[in-house]
Formats: sequence, structure tokens, C-alpha cells
Amino acid sequence: MKPFTFFSPRTLAEASRILADHNGNGRALAGGTDLLIRMKRGQWTPRAVVSLNRIAGLNEIALNGELKLGARVTLNQLIRSPIIREYFPVLAATARNMAGVQVRTLATVGGNLCNASPSADMSPPLMALNARAVIVGAAGERVVSLDEFFVGPGKSVLQSDEILRELIVPYNSRAARASYKKLEHRAAMDIAMVGVSVAVEFQKAEFGNRNCADARIVLGAVAPTPLRAKRAEEILRGNILNKENIAHAARVAAEEARPIDDVRSSAWYRREMVEALTRRQLMEIRDLRLEIGD
Amino acid sequence: MRSWRWDVNNYSVIGKRVPKLDALDKATGRAQYGHDLNLPGMLVGKILYANVPHARILNIDISRAEKVRGVKAVITGEHNPVHKFGYGADNTPLKADKVRSRRDEVAAVAAMDDDAANEALALIRVEYAELPPLYSAEAALAAGAPLVHEERANNLFLRYNYAHGDAERAFDDADEIVEEEYFLPYVTHAAMETSFALAVFDLQNRLTMWSTTQIPFLLQRDLSEALGMPGRDIRIIQPTIGGAFGRGLDVYPFEPICALLAKHSGKPVRLAFTRDEEFFATATRQPAHVKMRTGVKRDGTLWARDASVLLDAGAYISWGAVTPLVMMETTASLYRVPHAKFVADVVYSNNPPTGAMRGYGNPQSTFFVETQMDMLAEKLGMDPVEFRLKNANIPNSETPQGLKITSCGLRECITEVAERIGWERRSSVSSNQLSVVSNQSSVSSNQSPVSNPQSPIRRGIGIACTLNVGGGARIYRSDGCGATVKVDDFGRVTLISGSTEIGQGSETALAQIVAEVLGVRVDDVTVINSDTSVKPWDVGTHASRTTFIAGNAAWIAANQVREKILDHAAQMLNVSPNHLEMRDGMVRVQGDAAGKGIAYDKVVRAMHYREDGNVVSGTGWYDPPTKLVDKDTYKGNISAAYGFGAQAVEIEVDTETGQVRVLKIVAAHDVGRAINPMYVEGQIEGGAQMGVGYALSEELQVREGRILNPSLLDYRMPTALDMPPIESVIIETADPEGPFGAKGVGEMGGNPTAAAIANALYNAVGIRMNQLPMTGERVLRALKEKERMENGD
Ligand SMILES: Cc1cc2nc3c(=O)[nH]c(=O)nc-3n(C[C@H](O)[C@H](O)[C@H](O)COP(=O)(O)OP(=O)(O)OC[C@H]3O[C@@H](n4cnc5c(N)ncnc54)[C@H](O)[C@@H]3O)c2cc1C
Repeated sequence: MKPFTFFSPRTLAEASRILADHNGNGRALAGGTDLLIRMKRGQWTPRAVVSLNRIAGLNEIALNGELKLGARVTLNQLIRSPIIREYFPVLAATARNMAGVQVRTLATVGGNLCNASPSADMSPPLMALNARAVIVGAAGERVVSLDEFFVGPGKSVLQSDEILRELIVPYNSRAARASYKKLEHRAAMDIAMVGVSVAVEFQKAEFGNRNCADARIVLGAVAPTPLRAKRAEEILRGNILNKENIAHAARVAAEEARPIDDVRSSAWYRREMVEALTRRQLMEIRDLRLEIGD
Repeated sequence: MRSWRWDVNNYSVIGKRVPKLDALDKATGRAQYGHDLNLPGMLVGKILYANVPHARILNIDISRAEKVRGVKAVITGEHNPVHKFGYGADNTPLKADKVRSRRDEVAAVAAMDDDAANEALALIRVEYAELPPLYSAEAALAAGAPLVHEERANNLFLRYNYAHGDAERAFDDADEIVEEEYFLPYVTHAAMETSFALAVFDLQNRLTMWSTTQIPFLLQRDLSEALGMPGRDIRIIQPTIGGAFGRGLDVYPFEPICALLAKHSGKPVRLAFTRDEEFFATATRQPAHVKMRTGVKRDGTLWARDASVLLDAGAYISWGAVTPLVMMETTASLYRVPHAKFVADVVYSNNPPTGAMRGYGNPQSTFFVETQMDMLAEKLGMDPVEFRLKNANIPNSETPQGLKITSCGLRECITEVAERIGWERRSSVSSNQLSVVSNQSSVSSNQSPVSNPQSPIRRGIGIACTLNVGGGARIYRSDGCGATVKVDDFGRVTLISGSTEIGQGSETALAQIVAEVLGVRVDDVTVINSDTSVKPWDVGTHASRTTFIAGNAAWIAANQVREKILDHAAQMLNVSPNHLEMRDGMVRVQGDAAGKGIAYDKVVRAMHYREDGNVVSGTGWYDPPTKLVDKDTYKGNISAAYGFGAQAVEIEVDTETGQVRVLKIVAAHDVGRAINPMYVEGQIEGGAQMGVGYALSEELQVREGRILNPSLLDYRMPTALDMPPIESVIIETADPEGPFGAKGVGEMGGNPTAAAIANALYNAVGIRMNQLPMTGERVLRALKEKERMENGD
């Protein structure tokens, strides 16, 4: 590993000033489960590594109308948090299917997003939940919808001096019902070949009503960034969530995907799997709706 | 023949679940692996790989590398004596004239630390003139193909040509025939500890090497060839080894390179592979392209079989080139088949060099033989279990290949697994559609399946059998092993065994054998087995041979000690030695448990402290009563005993994703006698895990000679969560030649798993996969293809 200076500031302002001083040659450190691997392989050679671990408040989970999710919340914290389990179960379930237990004690939600890997597991469900990113930099604070957060593989809208402080996730009935499925080669320690998250909001909270007020479908690992399948969403919006519409939406989501061939999977299979996972999750939401209502 | 003077039902340590002698040290991190060693002044060695597939080396410039601070030696093929080594006598430590694969070693550096070594490697400039590369065995055999080794006439290294009966003609008399083509992938050992060597020369120019090898004495010889120095000046020490699975069966270039770096720097040099290197620079299992057909008689008698195998050995030949010997054994002798033909071509290419891996050809051949057995059964309208039982080998028979089968529990294995998996459900299990359990990885067979006609989940059951050498394997002229047992004044028994412990637990099994013979506790036995300057000669740990061969040697040595102690005790007690026994640490009159006796260590002291005293020791040598196969016909009894097994699996297929999940494995293996049932189960379970990986997820993806997935992330071995419950059933047939009746079990566990899964997949959804691994993508493609055919477009 190339030598670097290690900083461990106590405030966000100081952290962002150190990053600004290093002018693109600094990196924030959260759990380090992505960062250190790249540094050891010589892919990244930052001159400054700025730990976020002494900055207070970054690992908070609070529900106050909306969910505030600190960037340094670890995957294990998500799994254990009563708030997450009760009101945003998709996030706990997603975290549980990531990596292995040792990595989950270190890995953070913010690190997963800021790393901006197209296959990162946290991005699709958080986008499906319509989350916003609160970003702090030398110039102050800004809020960006996660829809606009990712720019390309490994690239987000964060400037070199900017730090993700927290995510704001609206709470509504959709949150309770959102789901995420990841297709992997094995049951643990694997990166998604395809990830699909769906969230549906129904028009009326009455038993058996299956009219979709809104739907969000987000695809992971099938494009340079996590991708909203907007045409598929449109098919469901304002329409009844039935088998035909679901099949149609799933097919259109597969068309919207822009997958590539790589060592993990072929583009053909990825596209097929977008359809299968989208259909399966929408059917599950439909079935649940028929069984237990809202 | 051994004569067991022990009552089978009255063993004190044989058959007991004794924990491994080194279990606590390993579990608490105290065990010293090679990677833990540190010598004063020790340098780090690193290798520069060519990364071009086939090229002439024009020039290597090391001048800038030599100037890097902390660098103590930079070597290339130019600076060093080039001595050929290896099974094909075709490899050299560093390549001087040309490179034949991307992983060819072209230069090496010894430096004070990793960073300096890496910096130096990056500064070495190599000029190549590229040659046309050969990326498959087929391309290498094509007329006019460039030569990988120019001193040879063509790229065919070796053709194996085996036959018994008259297969050609016999197919005319067969009532049903199946013919299929198979594609088997590159897979790799991925042992927990990566390859390691630490070399140091003393002032007399003698080399000591700490090594993860499985063949210390052959390494001594091979290194002497590679380095051009006398074997007697080479000492190999094996620290605790973290797995090998066949990786250590040959000398590979990194070992002589490590020695050369030590020589040039005058310091101890440690060369430890990174995980990436472990994937791209160790020898893998050969990919195979196989064509096979089998014919049967209407009544279900196997009649004729004809297989041809094309093996891509890569750029250099290792002992892995001998795997066809094992493949032909499965093809010709797993079942009784009167006519068989087997041809295998081992071919050079510019792909990564290949080598030996657990099973040694058997997981491959068992896959194609056992999937064809199911196809034949279906054609005959016969139950696959019944079909196998009808053709199974029986005890005390000789196969046309010349295998002398003595103990044989294959039929028991088959009936046992069929019963335990619930074979009678096979015809109905696949039509029960199950509902999707939403979390893809939490499905367990205990959950009661919910019937749901719309569900994409299907279940299936499958079976497959295996035959494996279990009494050594004479692939070298000697299949021998030596052992010395001695007892000291305090009753500490030491077994000095030629054998090699790579984590399999053999050393404790050997201690159990010695403890049983001498009537002492296993804890009273120390096993010394790690230093060629101390231990007697042995071929190495391979071919599931250690417990059988080294166990017999230890048995012989321990018996000599026992006789000496009994003789002397007889004088002390004034009785005939024939009436004495050793048990519970005492020598006493047989059957007289309450009677007076003497502690064995007291007898030993008495033998030391007297005028014409002597050391209390014994030396055993065991070389099994077997033959090298005939060099033209490949016939002969290669092993002194054969192990058998059957595995039945239940699987679940998600027809929307193609993904297969194994719900349960029942594995019954005939091991003669389980010296330690816990280790037998360990071997079966570990084998089955490799088998599940081979079946479903493991493949080194090689494109244009480059390995695309050299990491534990993208080379997917099953994790604990992917493994189903494994029910191991130990079948004991008390082999007449094995120590206490034991036969080998080191490789068998992984042989039949992939075939059993493939057969279950067919049972579930009616598709035959002839390419491994059966990934979700491949299964889905096959399902779509089947759907298309059925819809007639
Ligand atoms: C064995 C293993 C298994 C894995 N399995 C999975 C998996 O199943 N699914 C998956 O999606 N990922 C997986 N990962 C990847 C990784 O663990 C996750 O992406 C993790 O969430 C990263 O978080 P971290 O806190 O470790 O990030 P770090 O490594 O600390 O940081 C990652 C990147 O984000 C930047 N960064 C971190 N926090 C901030 C912040 N608050 N503001 C600005 N920039 C920031 C860093 O500078 C760095 O560039 C795995 C990794 C390993 C080693």
C-alpha cells in the first residue's frame, strides 16, 4: 500500500476541510470494506484518508415523520434496529443478505452508496423508498434525491470535499411493503448479478383494493448506475395490480435494463432475471394485498 | 495378510471419535503454518509473470529493478542454470527463451519487504516477440498448429489407449445405446492456506526448504533436478499445512525460484502466494471434452462402453497428466461391463498449466459415467437403483481391467442411500409443485412443501455411485512408506512416519493405530512427520493412501515394539509372551483384567537399565501387493483395496431463475473400517462440498489464456449457507489388507456428488446438463430450449 496520512477529525466541517485541502487526493473512510481493498490492490492511492468514525451523530437512526438514517449506520445496526425492522423491513432484509457477518459489522450504508457500485445492494431499495441524500461540503449543505445521486460506475454527485451525512426516507404505507430481491450465485458473500426493488402504494387503504396509486421499480447491476424502470412504473400507476399488468410491467422493466456480459453473468440472463424478479415481487405484493389487505 | 489378534468389538481406540491431536492448537491460532514463520534476515520473494500467452523472450532489462532500495536479488532465466523438471521434463524455474502461458515465470525478486519487491517487479522490462497462441486442445491438435514445445513433433503429449473385450463390435449387439458429449471446466483447489516456500542455504551449500508440499521426498528429488544439486543436500520441512487437495503433488516453478533467490541473495527467502496468485499461478484441474456412449442389453446388463477424452493440459505437463488412468478405471470398472474402450489425449496448449486435484480424474469420469447410467435406466424403463444394483461390482472378483476387488460394499451403499433419501418418492416428488419461499437462501428441506400449482419450484431426487482406489495407488514404482515407533522411559510413544499431514487428520488416525497396538492412550503418542532429515521415506499424500499405507507401516513398527515389550515382560512375570496382552497402559495376562500386571513404561525402563539393554523401537515398511499398470494395455491391479460409495441427493430447482439448491445429501461410503468415524465424516462432508461446487458454481473462467475470476468472490465455492445437511453413512467391510480393516476415503466424497445432482435435476425438470457447472443461467437456457422444442418451434 502506498503511504498516506491518516486523519480522524471530530466534526464534519473539519473532515470536509481536510478533503478540500487534499484536492481530490483524499478519501473518506467509513467501514473501509471497499476502500481498503482498492488501496491494497493499488487501484486507489489517496494521500489522505479521513476517518468519519469520531464524528458524532453519523450513526443515528431516528423516525420523526421521516426516517433519518446516518451515513455511518452499519449493516448490522440496520438489521438490529427496531425502527428499521418495524417500519422499513426491506432495509433490514437487504442488509441481512449482504456479505457475511464480519463485513456487516464494519460496512456502512453511506459507504455502500458513496462507493457507487452499480451492484450495490442498498441503492435500489433506498431509491424505491424515494430517499434523499443530505450532503455536506466546504460550501455548505445540499440535499439531492437518490434518483440523481449516481452518475456512473464508482461515480456519484459528491465533490471531492463532500461527505454524505445522512439519508432522509419518507415514511408511508409503501415503505412497509417495499421489497428487494438479489440474484446471486450462492447464499452469502456474493455480489448481485441482478437486484430489483419494488415499492407500491395503493389508492385506498381499504381491504382488497388493488388500484396502484404509485409504483417505483429500481434495478441494480444492469446499468452503469442503479436504474428506475420508469416505463414499467407507468404501466402500474393508476392501474389495477393484476397478473396481466404485472407481467407487462415486468417485461417492460427487462426492456429498460441495459445489462452487459461479464464474469458474473451474461446480459441475456440479467435481462431475464429483471423480468423474473420484478414479476415475482409484484405478485407477492398483490397476493399479500388479497390476503390481508393494507 | 494381517492377522488381527484383536477382538473387533473390543477395540479401545480404533473406531473412536478422538479429536485431532492438533485441534486445540489450530482452533486457538497457535499452530505454526508456513506463513507464520520468520527467520532472521528473511527476505520476501516475488515473481514476475509473463502475461503474454506465447512469445519469444527477446530481452529482459532488470537494471532499474536492481536499484530499488531494499532489493537484494533480481534473477531471470538468463542468470540461472536452466534445468528441466516436471512429469513432462518440460518446465524450468524461470523461462529463458520463450513463454508458453500468461502465468509463465520470467523474473523474480528478493527484497526487504513486499513494497520494495513489488516496485522492483514493476520496473522490469521484458521485450517479447509474440507467437500465435493456442487456446484450446482442439486448436493445438489442428494440422499446422504452432508448437508449444518446439523440441516436440506435435502438441500431443500422450495418448492413453485402453480396451477390454471388443467394444466396437459389441455395440452391434446392444439393445439400447446412449451417446453424449460433455464439457468439464477448469476448477481449482483454493486451499485455505496459499502456496508457500521458505528457502535458506547454509554455508555448506545445503538447502533447507519449508514447504506446503504433499510429496516431501519427491520434492527433494525434483528440486535436485531443477536446481542441479545433489538431493542429499536438500532438506524439506513441512510446517502445519492448511490444505492442499492435490496442489502439492508436483514441484512447481515457485519452489526452485525461491531456492534460487535464497542462493543469490545469501538470505532466507520466503515466497508466499497472494490469493490472486493462488488462483492464477497454481495448477488447476484439466478441462475435459468427452464423448462417450454406452450400450445395454434389454435385461439391464451393461454391455459396452466407449469413451474418448480430450484433456487440455496447458503449457506444461504435471502429474495431472496421469488422471486418465483414474478416468479409465471409473469407465471400465465402476460396474461390470464386458466390453470397454477408453482413449484419452493429453494435449499442450497456451492455457494455464494444469495439475492434480482431489479425485484425480474421478469427479470428471464419475460425472459422465453416472449420468449415462440414469439415461440408460430410463431407456430400459428400469429403476436407476435397480439398474445399478444389477451391474454393481461384488466382493472377491476381478474386473477385466485387472482390478482385484476384495472387500466391496457398493450394494450396501446403494440400498442404504436409496432408503434414507426416500427413493420411493422419486416418481412423485417432481410433480409436486412448491411455493416460492421468498428469501432465496433460507429454504430448508425440513419445511413442509406447500402445494401450489403456479409455483416455479420443482423438486427432484438423484443418485450416483463411485469407485476409488482405497489401498494406495501404484503410479510410481514404489507405493511404499516407512515408519519408526519408539518408546521412551516415561512411556511416551513416538511414531516417526514418512507420511504427510495436510490437514486431513491422518496423523491422529496413525496415532490411533499405534495406540491400539500398544494398548496406550492416543494422548501418549506423538507423531513426527514433518522433516525429511528425520522421517523415513514415503511417496507422499495422494490417492487416498495415507491411512492405508502409512497406517500399515505404523502397524508393523508398533507390533515390533509390542513384541519386544511383551518378550521382556514375560521374563519379568515369568509367563509365556503368548499369554500376555497390552491394554490400558499395562502388560498383563490375557483375559485377566484384575490380575497382576506391569505398566508398559516400567518394562521399557527395565529394558534400558540393564547390561545388554537396547532401544525399544521398531521399524516398519509397507509397500502394498500391487503392480504398476502395464504400459501398453494399462491393465493391472493398481491398488490393494478399493473404496466404494453412493450418494443420493434431493434438490430444488427454481424454474424462473434456473437456480438449483441442494436440500439434502445422503452419502454412504465403504471405508473398510473407520479408524475414526469423525474424520471419515469430515472427508465425506468436505468432499461433498467440493462436489456441490463442481456441480453448481465453481469454474475458473479462462479466456484467451487468462483467468478472469481469480478471487474468492468470483470463483464461487459454496459457503456454509449453501450446504445442505449431509447424512454420512459409514459402511464397514473390514478389508483384509487394510490396517484394522481400513480403506482410504480421502477423495471419494467428492466423486459422485455432481452426477447425483445432475440426475436429480433431470428428475425434477427433465433436462440433461452435460456441461458443468450447472449454473442458474445454463439451467434456464436449457429449460427454455426444452420449452421451445416441446412447443415445436
Ligand atoms: C467480503 C465482502 C463482501 C461484500 N458483500 C457485499 C454485498 O453483498 N453487497 C454489497 O452491496 N456490497 C458488498 N460488499 C462491499 C462493501 O462491503 C459495501 O459496499 C459497504 O457497504 C461499504 O461500506 P464501508 O463503510 O465499508 O465503505 P468504505 O470502504 O469505508 O467506503 C467506500 C467508499 O465510499 C466513500 N465513503 C464512505 N462513506 C462516505 C461518506 N459518508 N461520505 C462520502 N464518502 C464516503 C469512501 O471514501 C470510499 O470511496 C462486500 C465487501 C466485502 C469485502
